[in-house]
Amino acid sequence: MNDIADKCPQLGLVLSGAMLPRFFLLFQQGVTIRARVGCSLKAFLLEELAIRQDAVDKIQSMFLDGRPVDDLDATMVRDGSVLALSAALPGLVGATMRRGGRYASFRQTISYHEEKLQCAAGNGRVRIKLFNLIMRELGPGLLHRGVFMRTSDLMNFLSGQAEDFWQECREVILDGMPSDAGRLKDGTLLSGHQKVIFSATL
Amino acid sequence: MDKILRIDVGAEGGPKATAGAMGEYAGFAGRALTSAIVSKEVPPLCHALGAENKLVIAPGMLSGTTGAMSGRISVGCKSPLTGGIKEANAGGQPSQVLARLGYGAIVLEGKPKGDDLYKVFINKDGVRIAADNSLKMLPNYDLVAKMKAEYGDKIACISIGPAGEMKMSAASIACTDMELRPTRHAGRGGVGAVMGSKGIKVIVLDDTGMQMRAPKDPEKFKEANKRFIEGLKKHPVTGQGLPAYGTNVLTNILNEVGGYPTYNFRQGRFDGAAKISGETQAETETKRGGLATHGCHRGCVIQCSGTYHDKDGHYLTKQPEYETVWAHGGNCGISDLDGIAMLDFLDDNYGLDTIEMGATIGVAMEAGLAKFGDVEAAIKLVHEVGKGTHLGRILGNGTAFTAKAFGVEHAPVVKGQAMPAYDPRAVQGVGVTYATSPMGADHTAGYAVAQNVLKVGGDVNALKPEGQVELSRNLQIATAAIDSTGMCLFIAFAVLDQPETFQALLDMLNAFYGLSLTGDGVTDLGKKVLSMERDFNARAGFTAQQDRLPRYFKMEKFAPHNVTFDVKDEDLDKVFNW
Ligand code: SF4
Repeated sequence: MNDIADKCPQLGLVLSGAMLPRFFLLFQQGVTIRARVGCSLKAFLLEELAIRQDAVDKIQSMFLDGRPVDDLDATMVRDGSVLALSAALPGLVGATMRRGGRYASFRQTISYHEEKLQCAAGNGRVRIKLFNLIMRELGPGLLHRGVFMRTSDLMNFLSGQAEDFWQECREVILDGMPSDAGRLKDGTLLSGHQKVIFSATL
Repeated sequence: MDKILRIDVGAEGGPKATAGAMGEYAGFAGRALTSAIVSKEVPPLCHALGAENKLVIAPGMLSGTTGAMSGRISVGCKSPLTGGIKEANAGGQPSQVLARLGYGAIVLEGKPKGDDLYKVFINKDGVRIAADNSLKMLPNYDLVAKMKAEYGDKIACISIGPAGEMKMSAASIACTDMELRPTRHAGRGGVGAVMGSKGIKVIVLDDTGMQMRAPKDPEKFKEANKRFIEGLKKHPVTGQGLPAYGTNVLTNILNEVGGYPTYNFRQGRFDGAAKISGETQAETETKRGGLATHGCHRGCVIQCSGTYHDKDGHYLTKQPEYETVWAHGGNCGISDLDGIAMLDFLDDNYGLDTIEMGATIGVAMEAGLAKFGDVEAAIKLVHEVGKGTHLGRILGNGTAFTAKAFGVEHAPVVKGQAMPAYDPRAVQGVGVTYATSPMGADHTAGYAVAQNVLKVGGDVNALKPEGQVELSRNLQIATAAIDSTGMCLFIAFAVLDQPETFQALLDMLNAFYGLSLTGDGVTDLGKKVLSMERDFNARAGFTAQQDRLPRYFKMEKFAPHNVTFDVKDEDLDKVFNW
């Protein structure tokens, strides 16, 4: 996996902060990052994603592989995990999704239960979904770090952007070298590459 | 709020209004009052559309005051959809206005002698009722525009659309919002059909010249209200999440956990969820000049609503709620937010319950009347209902009726009422409430205050399966009580987590009425309401067999987690053991 990733081109954009909402659909659908895995969810959030403890506390609901998580220490992040993060949610069902909340029994059949607390540490890929207020909080950091995408998906995303997106795009950088936005838009810049590591600095 | 206005629609010479004292109903409001009147005065075996049924419209305990969030209105009757007792409630302006006019309830009773359609106008000088057949089959938006032209823009309206006039079991009762649009609906259970059966098209309320209702202890009330508002503002759900995204913030979450009923409850995930989520909806609204944060009535400090504009920036509808977006969206395989907003508008205009209609269209799609995902076909089906074609008459009578008409086995209903947007196999505790609520499948029936705040039912071991039964019981009790205060149920999030905010609410009630109500008193009120409702249903012929989910929820595994509903029947039967 790392070999493939290491051969991917790295595309970076420098954009105005006003463009953050353009990435909201991507965040909701999930972006894949390369990360150290084989650790507890708590360690993954605090150390690998470098989220401050008070910000972790605001993430009232977390889901690993589509299951609500209650105990961050007893949940392991592995290569291929899907992690979704949400702020406080409304309604009874919203309350049942809270980590360790008092209505957890309402969804006990789908809650996350760790099978093995041990798993191999190493590099891997984790798909991260950000929802609601968490998109604004963690989205910029995730984009800055870089996400692993199929080039066709990235091109779909970029071709859906209106002209103001490109007006607010101050730099296009490919593998550390300044590049041309026109060549990115017309597809020539990334032609021949199936995958790309995409980052944006807002 | 010291009188009840009774309108006998079968009186000689046309409907006659009589205002009388609250009498034995003194101290009751909202759901407590509607359920008390219905359970005492309506023969449970009567026909829901006949002379013996009554439609009761009641503001909440604190409606018409300066108290925040106090503008919910309750509508009660025997339901033509479930055959049991019904309370449906709505936001909008009418609750505040009706309360300031001094009415604890309006009761429509009897059976009209002829075919005339009536409008009722109530202001400080009294009640005027007039036949107005020019209103026949007017959709709600056109109707309200006509009322505005006739009575001015200081009014609030309670009305039915064509669906109510055609006495369809999915018909709602519309309440106007702050902009005088008929966007807030008492949706569930076919309450609009009962209003239609009484021959009343619209009740127009004008509180010009009336004062805010005055508390017994104004200083204490003001101070408690301030604490209550502070509590709502500081809580992450009522202070941040709901204002930013509304209830539709739940789409991504239910989808993520595989509890989002998709393709008529066939699976728990929908590929198009992110396209119709609250996050996407809020961005779309803001970009087009609509509002992502807005209140449905004056005095709402949470503001979970908004306004949705079309691609050209023109008003299309209010911000559709999560349940609506789910019903017309994922449940029908539709991921077109503009199409869903149009369906929301059509439901409001024809006067239809969005949950019942979305679930019905899901069944119609399963029957092959349209393809899953075909938004244009869904829009056409709702027009069929609004026009009252033969097909429309079937669809307008709801999910169970449509399933029967087209031979569809999978009808996601309890007591004849469609389930809302949370699959009970994934979130089983909600399934307990769907099964046992006297109202039929209803997500708001067990929605409110935590048992550890109210101290009802003792300590619950949340890790044991039976904990779900106890929690469901406690939540149903608390919800019944909150519905009686007229407070928006969304206050529950703040009250749930912050005992001081619950205390502020109690202090408001006590300061207003000169009471010394405690948490136990609130619990007793909730139990009393539920007991009256259960008793009505028992007399209407309901047994434990109606407190069940359709059998296929126990038999068919629900992807992605492959779960079935496995709460035992004997546990469901314990919900109301108190
Ligand atoms: S929170 Fe929402 S539903 Fe409740 S009163 Fe405010 S706008 Fe209406």
